[in-house]
Formats: sequence, C-alpha cells, structure tokens
Amino acid sequence: MLSANPPTGRRVIVVTLLSFAGFVAAVVCGLAVGPTSISTSRIIGALFSGLGIGHSTLTPLQATVVWQLRAPRLVLGLVAGAMLSVAGGTYQGVFRNPLADPYLLGVASGAGLGATFAIVYVGHGLSTPPWTPLLAFVGAMGAVVLTWGLGGRGLRATASTLILAGVAISALLTSLQTYFQQQSSVDSIARVYIWLLGSLATASWSSVWMVTPYVLACLVICVAAGSALDVMSVGDEEARSLGLPVGKVRVVVIAASSLGTAAVVSAVGLIGFVGIIVPHILRLLVGMSYRRILPIAVIFGAAFLVLADTIARTVMAPSELPLGVVTAVIGAPVFALILTLRRQLTQ
Amino acid sequence: MNAVDVRDLTVRAGSKDLVANVTLHVEAGTWLTVVGPNGAGKTSLVETIAGLRRVSTGSIAISGQPLASLSERERARLVALVPQRPSIPSGMNVKDYVALGRTAYHGLLRAPSAGDRAIVDTVLERMSLQEFRDRDVVTLSGGERQRMVLARALAQSTMVIVLDEPTTGLDLRHQMDLLELLRQEVNDCGLTVVATLHDLTLAGQFADRLVLLDRGEVILDGAAHDVIRREELSHCYQMNLRVIEIDGSDVIVPVRSVQ
Repeated sequence: MLSANPPTGRRVIVVTLLSFAGFVAAVVCGLAVGPTSISTSRIIGALFSGLGIGHSTLTPLQATVVWQLRAPRLVLGLVAGAMLSVAGGTYQGVFRNPLADPYLLGVASGAGLGATFAIVYVGHGLSTPPWTPLLAFVGAMGAVVLTWGLGGRGLRATASTLILAGVAISALLTSLQTYFQQQSSVDSIARVYIWLLGSLATASWSSVWMVTPYVLACLVICVAAGSALDVMSVGDEEARSLGLPVGKVRVVVIAASSLGTAAVVSAVGLIGFVGIIVPHILRLLVGMSYRRILPIAVIFGAAFLVLADTIARTVMAPSELPLGVVTAVIGAPVFALILTLRRQLTQ
Repeated sequence: MNAVDVRDLTVRAGSKDLVANVTLHVEAGTWLTVVGPNGAGKTSLVETIAGLRRVSTGSIAISGQPLASLSERERARLVALVPQRPSIPSGMNVKDYVALGRTAYHGLLRAPSAGDRAIVDTVLERMSLQEFRDRDVVTLSGGERQRMVLARALAQSTMVIVLDEPTTGLDLRHQMDLLELLRQEVNDCGLTVVATLHDLTLAGQFADRLVLLDRGEVILDGAAHDVIRREELSHCYQMNLRVIEIDGSDVIVPVRSVQ
C-alpha cells in the first residue's frame, strides 16, 4: 500500500473507508467497553433505535450508563480527536513545518496557566473549580493573541517570526505557571498535573454542548483550507505569485485552528501527540496533499482518540490512566515507525 | 500596445536603491531580457514587475492595469512568475503541481473545474510532460523540473511571464531546449516575456530586446547588437571580454587578464 509515488485515487478511497470502519469501531468500543458489561449487539441495537430503527434492549441502568456517562465522553473524545488532528495538519501546512502541532503558538502554555490559576487561586487547591475550562480557554486564546502581537505584522506575518514568538510566549507563560504552582500546596500541584495530562473523565453533555459548536465551525474552515495549504507548500512568495492571498489565509487558518484547539483543551486538558502523529500517519498513507489529509483526519483522529481513551479507562480499571500518557505511549513508537518507513521510502 | 509599462521605478531596501529610476516599456508579444552583473538589480526588477516586491517610487502597469491596484488573484491572472529557485514540494505529482497555476481561477473553496483540468492537460502536452504527469515532482531531472515550472506559469494563462534566471543549473542542451520552448510560446501564442539571464550569448540569441542593468540603473536598452558591446559590458562586469560574431549572432568570450 505504501510507495514513494504520490497516491492514486483508489488508495485514498481505501484509506477513507478503513478510517470510517475505525470510526464505527471506536463508537461501539466507546459505548460498550467499561465496568458495566454491555454486549456489543445491545449497543448496536441502541444506536439503531436512536436513529428510529428497531427497539433498544438496554435495561434502564444500562441506558443511563450508555447515554449519560459513556455517550458524552465518546462525543467529546470524537470532537477533541478530530479537532486536534486537523489543527495539527493545518499548523504543519501553514508553517511548512512537520514538527508543528496545535500547541505551537502557546495554546498549551496559555491554557495551562489559566487552569493552574483557576485551581490554585479560585479553587484554593481544594478542588478543580467549574471556572477552570473558561480560564483555560481565556489563557489559550490570550497566548495566541500575544504570540501574534509579538511575531506577527498584521497580514505580513511570516512563519518563522510566529514560531519564534510562540516559543518566547510559551516559555514566559510556563514560567508563570511554574511560579503559581510553586506558591501552592502539594494537593493543588497534583490537581494541576491531572488537568495538564488530559482526561475525558469529566465529560458531560454540558461540556459537549459548550465545545462542539466552536469545534464544528473551526473544522469546516480548516478542512476547506486544504487547497490553499497545498498552494502554500511552494512557499509564501510563489503562492502569492500564483494568486493566493497568503496573509489572509494564514490569519484565518491559524485563528480557526487555535480557537478550536483552545475550546478542546479547555474541556479535556492537554492531550499531546494526536496533532502530530495523525497527520503524519495520513501523509504516509494518502500523500502530502492537505485536500486529502484534512477530511480523513477528521474521522481518523476522532477514532484514534476514542480508542486511546478506551485503553486509558480499561487497562488499569477501576482507576484511569491520564489520556495524555496513553497518546504519548502510543504516539512515540508510532512516530518512530513513521520515520523509519519514510526513510525507507525515500531511499 | 505595451504589455508591461515601468515608469520611474525605484525599489529600496533600507537606504540602498536596488532599482533606481528605471523606465521600461515591453511591447505585447515580445521578449525582453534583462542582463547585468551580480547585484545589478535584475532579480529585484523582475520580482517587482511580478508584484512580489514593494514599489518605493514610480509605477508598474500590466496590460494597462496599475499593479498597485490589483489583488493577488487579479495580478496572477495578468502576470506569471518562474522564480530563480522554485520550491519543489515532495509528494506532489507533476499534474497537481502544474494545476497550482490555476489557483487564481477556481477560488479557494472549489476544486479545479473541467476547464482548468483541460488547460493543465494542454500545457502538459505542449511542454512534453504528459508521460510524467503522475510522477512525484522530486523525481524529475533538472531540465524536466524547469519545464514543469514553466508549465505551471503557462497554466496561469497570463499575457506576461516573468522568468528569473530560468536556465540556472541546466546543461547547455537543456538551456537551449527551454529557451526554444519559450520562444515558441512567444511566436505562436503572442506571449510577452520578461526574463533575466546571466548568459549574454543566449540572451542575445533569443530575446527581441536586451536591457543592460548596473547598480539598479539602465545602462543600455535596445536590440541585442546594440547592447552587446565590448566597452560597456567590460565596464559593467569589470573584466576583459570580446564580442565575436558567429553566423550573425554575437558571442561573448571572457578573456583572462593575466596570461
């Protein structure tokens, strides 16, 4: 399936179908797997009954577990996985940098600072207060605005100045976050770390409704930008000579990617590696074109994160592993494998 | 009718004038080549004509339309650029690369139309690139790559093409092949070409008109025979050279000053 030549349309269709199959498997796993045993056939029956086909055979307790506990967690996982994967792809495209991820311009450090402030000063280290997502969101967007203010020159911002500004702002905000942590108790440090490592455990329908509208709007913009990102692969100057308004495209794509990522991070914390490895896996499978990578990243990334979450909540049940740890444990070897395959293909 | 009008153009970088008070008019369907030593301002001049550099003072019009008033899309429908060192993105096939030339026509949210695809096919045919259409662009040889970059520019369907040192890195035969292809486009399709070239002999053989630039200023402007003159060229390039006529063409031969 892999070759050094750009992929054929048939290969793209096969990868899309396999990604969709993975998506369906992730949905079933997300609803069926857990401490309360529910058979796959009952889950599938319940899903069909939700579409108005047939009857659900779930008991009232099972229905509560499925629709009130697992379903919001599943939907939030799908939304977060899709957004982080697509944002990783768009950042890599807009910065022409394969190591770019959705946290490049300071979203992670800004959200971390906001969440730390909420836990240490609003929750006084005794709890993770309900204000945490809002302050994380404000921190994340504030970091991006600061980065743009420092490295951007309006529509004439260049990729390298923005990356450097992102590094500087991230370092500044991380140092502030460390200072807040150093001023707080051991309990609050533990809470901060739990938040930083990311989790879907606190997912609820209210968090789903809070995040999903932003993410859907941002996903539409990012996926639609695929053709423009392909043009930008020849560099800013050539892209401009071809008729692409590079500055405007960069602003729109970065704004949509950052807003969507900030919304996700505010709800689920910092989940690393998804934004890097999903676009890289797809690049290996369907080629370098963002017109192909980004739409498939929506379903592939969604499935990837839900399956990782299924591992996170079952492998050490009844306790849960932090989701960020699972994605990193899966992501690091997968990334090494991708590099090896890519080296073999280019030799 | 003039395809390109450059009036009193100055392009500055800091306090240095890269192009100083240049006035040029290029008639539609003709080929003008800008020659001159390194640092003469050739690249700055053609990049400004292509809309990639800011005009400090003066004005540029393409087909009568002032460049400053055009959006990127409008400009890309009037003038195409073949850069000196084009970026060759790995993983893209030749057909998709050439189709980038249609960016200004199909909009950001829409895929190329059947018309766009037909134009790409025609250009691939004209540049003898059909057999490579599904190949990864990085697997092409230097000569094939340059033809592909020229094909992308032709796919823009512009009246004017600006080329900055299009023969860089090519052997003699591939240089001749590329320039012949370009000459054919000028003769057959009425294309207007503004190019820079280091090779004065080739410049004289292919262009209708030469402009000799030095330190941002126009030193000579005219037919090849009027510009390829020993004294002026020796002065500009600060070296000893001879101009020999072979089969009606001027050939420039550098001569070592210390034998």
